[in-house]
Amino acid sequence: MLPSFDILGFLVSWGTFLGIYAILAISLNLEVGLTGMANFGKVAFYGIGAYLAASLSVYTVLAVYHVAAAPYTTEGIIALGKYGGASPALDLGIFAASLMLGFIIAGCVGYLLTYPTLRVGPAFLGITLLAFGELLRIFLLNYQPLGASKGLSGIPHPFLWIPDPVLRERLYVLVVLGFLAVTLWFAERITNSPFGRVLKAVRDDEVAALCMGKHVPRVKATVLFIGSGMAGVAGVLLAFYMSSVNPNMFVPAVTFNIWAMVILGGMGNNKGAVVGAAIITFVDRILTFITPNLGITIITPDYIRWMIVGILIVLVLMFMPGGLVPEKPIKTPAWEAVESLEKESKEGGSGGGEA
Amino acid sequence: MTKPILEVKDLAKYFGGVKALDGVTLEVPERGVIGLIGPNGSGKTTLFNVVTGFYVPTRGEVWYAGERIDGLNPNEVFLKGLVRTFQIPRLFPSLTVLENVLLTPPRQVGERVLTAPFRSKWEKQEKELARKAVALLRKFGLGEYVRARVSELSAAHMKMIETIRGLITDARVYLLDEPAAGVAYTTARELFTFIKRLRDEEGLTFFIIEHRLEVLMDFVDYVYVLHNGRLLSEGKPDEVMSDPKVIEAYIGR
Ligand SMILES: Nc1ncnc2c1ncn2[C@@H]1O[C@H](COP(=O)(O)OP(=O)(O)OP(=O)(O)O)[C@@H](O)[C@H]1O
Ligand SMILES: [Mg+2]
Repeated sequence: MLPSFDILGFLVSWGTFLGIYAILAISLNLEVGLTGMANFGKVAFYGIGAYLAASLSVYTVLAVYHVAAAPYTTEGIIALGKYGGASPALDLGIFAASLMLGFIIAGCVGYLLTYPTLRVGPAFLGITLLAFGELLRIFLLNYQPLGASKGLSGIPHPFLWIPDPVLRERLYVLVVLGFLAVTLWFAERITNSPFGRVLKAVRDDEVAALCMGKHVPRVKATVLFIGSGMAGVAGVLLAFYMSSVNPNMFVPAVTFNIWAMVILGGMGNNKGAVVGAAIITFVDRILTFITPNLGITIITPDYIRWMIVGILIVLVLMFMPGGLVPEKPIKTPAWEAVESLEKESKEGGSGGGEA
Repeated sequence: MTKPILEVKDLAKYFGGVKALDGVTLEVPERGVIGLIGPNGSGKTTLFNVVTGFYVPTRGEVWYAGERIDGLNPNEVFLKGLVRTFQIPRLFPSLTVLENVLLTPPRQVGERVLTAPFRSKWEKQEKELARKAVALLRKFGLGEYVRARVSELSAAHMKMIETIRGLITDARVYLLDEPAAGVAYTTARELFTFIKRLRDEEGLTFFIIEHRLEVLMDFVDYVYVLHNGRLLSEGKPDEVMSDPKVIEAYIGR
């Protein structure tokens, strides 16, 4: 039917986007699904990670090879192409440093932004973050050292020193999925812990949580640090995959796309966030892979994509209000203790009840 | 009576023109079971709100165990060892009954984000707390609801659990806002019997707002009566009940 369809190539490309978006969806789920903080500015932290990776890598490569040109000039881009894959150690070092700094810087920005807003009131948080995302994008559009509207390109892929681009991409998808695995592991662990219990309590009733001695502002700021840091890591992974970044990659629609993934997959469930990300990135990838073959000109793929996403969400929520993978009760060792107690009292015979 | 653990000195709280509290001075002795009564709108809940850090008082002081605590945040007051319950129960609806109780103990190892992913660091504490929580729920005839969601409970059970969950901490003073409201008469008596037992066996202190005087009066050592934000009367239950001012305030104006 579609003779040019390269299944493995498709899977690699889908897997990369799935990994990046699933990290974003998990981070949003921690904030919104578990703690009840409506973050409408997710894209900002994604963008911070991506731009951090982009600027750190291009400026470092140019500095190391003593190239005087700026990275956004033609000479700069040519130099980046020439020196990009020259040193495996440099490429991998830049990649590792970007991941660490991406997490820390995006996380700190999230933390610092929320501290004042948490005091004003919960409704302001979402709006503040939305506004911050747009401000950041407009700043990037105009800030020449970061390439302004053209952005930065020539970001050295961490495996650029491997000559075969197919192998390079296959290795990269494994790295991305590895990060997804770590993120999911961490999110699941903290969800199913006393900390996760505090998050759900804050989501249910902040005031009551405060009365139970929980430092609610600190809990929220912690979650925003982690969530923003995760989004920063996703941004770093995106920048190295795309090898270029520009401000139009970080429009508010990206945030709503991530929301769609969480809603579709199931609010309050980390695995659901991954499922939602998998489905929506699948639709995206399929559309980009098949549009060249279909030759549609009247409707853009972007248009079809949002229609499909909308219909999916409506259908799923009609039949499964909790999403595809609804929220599950918290699992901690407490239940093991309860089970053994219940067994004991059954073995204790008819004397159960009052002791 | 023994030395006071909680003292309120000339406490006032105005909401615009409304003087919800207007110069109240009272004390709650250690190991006391003390009642706080008064007609609707007399300022009882407001007093609790000021004591537990919800409101900054317009005037006056709150002292707890020799420390001034007015102006602290609610979570800080809780950590000092003062637990409150609400007039309308405020349990966490997406948690089970057990988890509502487990949430209460402060400074749990697994509540810190860096230790939370590592089960081995907090597993022992969590299991210990779970056993304590189950014992507490069973002691109170709520053993069968351990796994229930709060939304599946009756109003009476919610009240009881709200009281019980404070008992898992080593807090020493409990402020209970109408624990017996909406609870069957015999259950209410059980609840108060339990409270007395906790006082006798564990040395806890209770300060209790209650409208159901027929239950309250059989159990408290001492009663304060509020009326229009001021202390109207105080004394032993029978003294207060025979005070003409109290009778008048309750029956009509
Ligand atoms: N946050 C507030 N803002 C304005 N007025 C308030 C506020 N809280 C309480 N009040 C007013 O203060 C007065 C005392 O209220 P409070 O809730 O303390 O009474 P109460 O003794 O607990 O009554 P009830 O027995 O009905 O619970 C009432 O007139 C009430 O309307
Ligand atoms: Mg009241």
